[in-house]
Amino acid sequence: MKNIINSLKYIMMSAVIFSLTSCEDYLSPDPTAAISSETFYQTQEDFDLAVINMYDAIAGLNSTNSNDNHSLQVEFYLTEMRSDNTRTKAQEGEAAQFEFFTIESTNGIIDDYYRSFYDVIFRANSILDNLGNIQNSAAYEAEAKFVRAYAYFNLVRLYGDIPLVNRGIEITDTSTQFTRVATSSIYDLIQSDLNTAILGLDNSYKTRASKAAAQTLLAKVYLTLGVNYLEAQILCEAVMTSGFLLEPDFKDVFYNELNDEIIFAIGYQPDSSADSQNFSAEWLNAVGRTSGVNYLTENAVAFIDANGGDRKDYSYRIDTGQPTKKQVVKYLPNGDSNLGIDPVSSNPTLAGNDWIILRYADVLLMHVEAIMAGGNETNVPAALNSFQQVRNRAGLTDVVTSISKQELLDERRAELAFENHRLFDLIRFGEAMNVLSDHSTEIGGSFSSSDLLLPIPQREINLSNGQLSQNPGY
Amino acid sequence: MMKTKYINNLYIFGLALAAFTFNSCDDFEQFEPLGENSIEDETPPNALFSYSQGVGLDDEWKTYTFSNQSASATTYAWDFGDGNIGDGLDEENTYPGEGTFTVTLTASDALGQMSTYSEEITIVEPEAPAAIIPTILESSFEDNSLPDGTGDGRDSWRNSDLGGVIQITSSPVYEGSQASKFPSGGDRIAYQELMVTPNSDYILSYFYTLKTNNPGSITVSVIAGGGHTDLTAALAATIEDFEGTDQSSSSTYVPVSISFNSGANDTVSILVTNQGEEARIDSFSIALGD
Repeated sequence: MKNIINSLKYIMMSAVIFSLTSCEDYLSPDPTAAISSETFYQTQEDFDLAVINMYDAIAGLNSTNSNDNHSLQVEFYLTEMRSDNTRTKAQEGEAAQFEFFTIESTNGIIDDYYRSFYDVIFRANSILDNLGNIQNSAAYEAEAKFVRAYAYFNLVRLYGDIPLVNRGIEITDTSTQFTRVATSSIYDLIQSDLNTAILGLDNSYKTRASKAAAQTLLAKVYLTLGVNYLEAQILCEAVMTSGFLLEPDFKDVFYNELNDEIIFAIGYQPDSSADSQNFSAEWLNAVGRTSGVNYLTENAVAFIDANGGDRKDYSYRIDTGQPTKKQVVKYLPNGDSNLGIDPVSSNPTLAGNDWIILRYADVLLMHVEAIMAGGNETNVPAALNSFQQVRNRAGLTDVVTSISKQELLDERRAELAFENHRLFDLIRFGEAMNVLSDHSTEIGGSFSSSDLLLPIPQREINLSNGQLSQNPGY
Repeated sequence: MMKTKYINNLYIFGLALAAFTFNSCDDFEQFEPLGENSIEDETPPNALFSYSQGVGLDDEWKTYTFSNQSASATTYAWDFGDGNIGDGLDEENTYPGEGTFTVTLTASDALGQMSTYSEEITIVEPEAPAAIIPTILESSFEDNSLPDGTGDGRDSWRNSDLGGVIQITSSPVYEGSQASKFPSGGDRIAYQELMVTPNSDYILSYFYTLKTNNPGSITVSVIAGGGHTDLTAALAATIEDFEGTDQSSSSTYVPVSISFNSGANDTVSILVTNQGEEARIDSFSIALGD
């Protein structure tokens, strides 16, 4: 014992002496065994790695651990399954809260998505905070701002007023972490970020930010806010003259990856545990961890039968394991020989199907929406032309002479079904209340207007010591 | 034995309890003020709603959707201000027509606490905005024809980045006493920006005549946007144009109408150029297409 005290004394003394002479170096040495954000950003290669790191966060982890960030891989729960398009197969458990509009603030999936997308924002901010370390930083700034705007656009539409974090913050900065900022301020940041992105980017990538992706996203922001319709139209027309084309065969949009129609997609690698996805397997009958999610509602089946045209066979199929149920066909991991679709990966739970975020058909229909400019219908030739292109590809070649708002909403549903557009479209067109309350009555759900926003995750509210307020109705 | 005694005791206790209950119930309330030991309603209701006007064909605009945003409430009473009431969580009401109505939501909780929120809504039938019909200044190239009574007939048509200023002729004219003249050198232009409604059909009309000594033409172009400073770039942004080549008479004016759709522009520009022969233009006008 005495020995220990003695040596402790010795250590203490030497520590005192040491700190008197070389305090700074000793107390904050640069770590050599691990990477730190403070010293990481030196060369162009470092910035390139940091850029890829952002897309990695959007792609999410392919894992079944509910503590991991699954990001985009769980987005369908929050969007398609909260619309009239899809449901769980079993209609039970946490996943079924979405289709019945009974989401609890403790739901793990809404927490997963929330923290995943703040992680995306954190990674983008980390690049933006270090731009001073490199020459010619404009392209990195543009790319990080595109990613940050994309993440905020998703979060603000799903959760409403949310904390605005536009730089790296300390863990002690609880006021930034837990102060809900009005959506208008979030949208100000999104617009300013996207304008920077448009100036600094070109169209060299499809699985990374591009000028066309930023233009499309900004047009969608304007349409969502119901402002600047002319600018939205100009942005769509800029994308329409950037070399994108509709794939002649609807199937190839999904099974010929990075085709001419793709503007922005998240690339997944088949059979790679690090870079694959599992949502494709989850949408099948007990191939993934669940017994099957994102199955079609009766309503969606009837709608696609009536309005899908040639798109029908590549939108849904009968679940052979349970013939009364219907599965999404757009992202099959293990192929379907009847439809001429080859397997994408040898292990379906390590699927390589890319997730398409923005594609040309979406832009053409947004072009119609921008020309309609909040009105009830349009017969402007430019709008008719864009609309007709999408219809023709689906084999619906009857000549369109005028487009009503309802017809546009329907065309978007048929074209973009199960691509996580439906809920946002309903809200943007002001039809969410009508359509979702009818749908909810049909399926015995409990929809009310407050269900148009998700709850702020209870874990965040707990962490904030009550500083974060909850959305109404939760 | 033991058991009997126990039962007896219980019996006595029960009797005593019954007696106690019968005669002292009222006394309790005498000594204990009403509400004592009860907990205050710490989460009283807070009424709030938002609303949106219906968008769609026919009378959709008369239908309003009300979204309940109240907190800590279980029952709701709506008064839509037009005599209609409701008790749902969210409500929809179709109003008789235009007017101002006060909508009141009373939210109550199970303890009888209430909160009231009112908002006045003004209902107006949305009108499809009519397309702008732009004004072409100095459209007939007459002196003092600007709105303030000044102008030399061509002040509104200058753009020195694109070309020299046009000349004015007094004969031949289509109407009035002056028309514009483009010498055979082809280095002069007329340029004017017009405010338009996007995606609307317009018809631009004018009259031209060409001299007959050399082959020539005069082209009127409708160009997307304004602020043009480069002739090649400006012509590349042409929406519609017309090249007039009728040289049958040097004094008879030929009418032309150019139909165009303004597309994604709130400004278009008129640009006039000529080639090879002296040309004249008079009497521009613009109207909405069908």
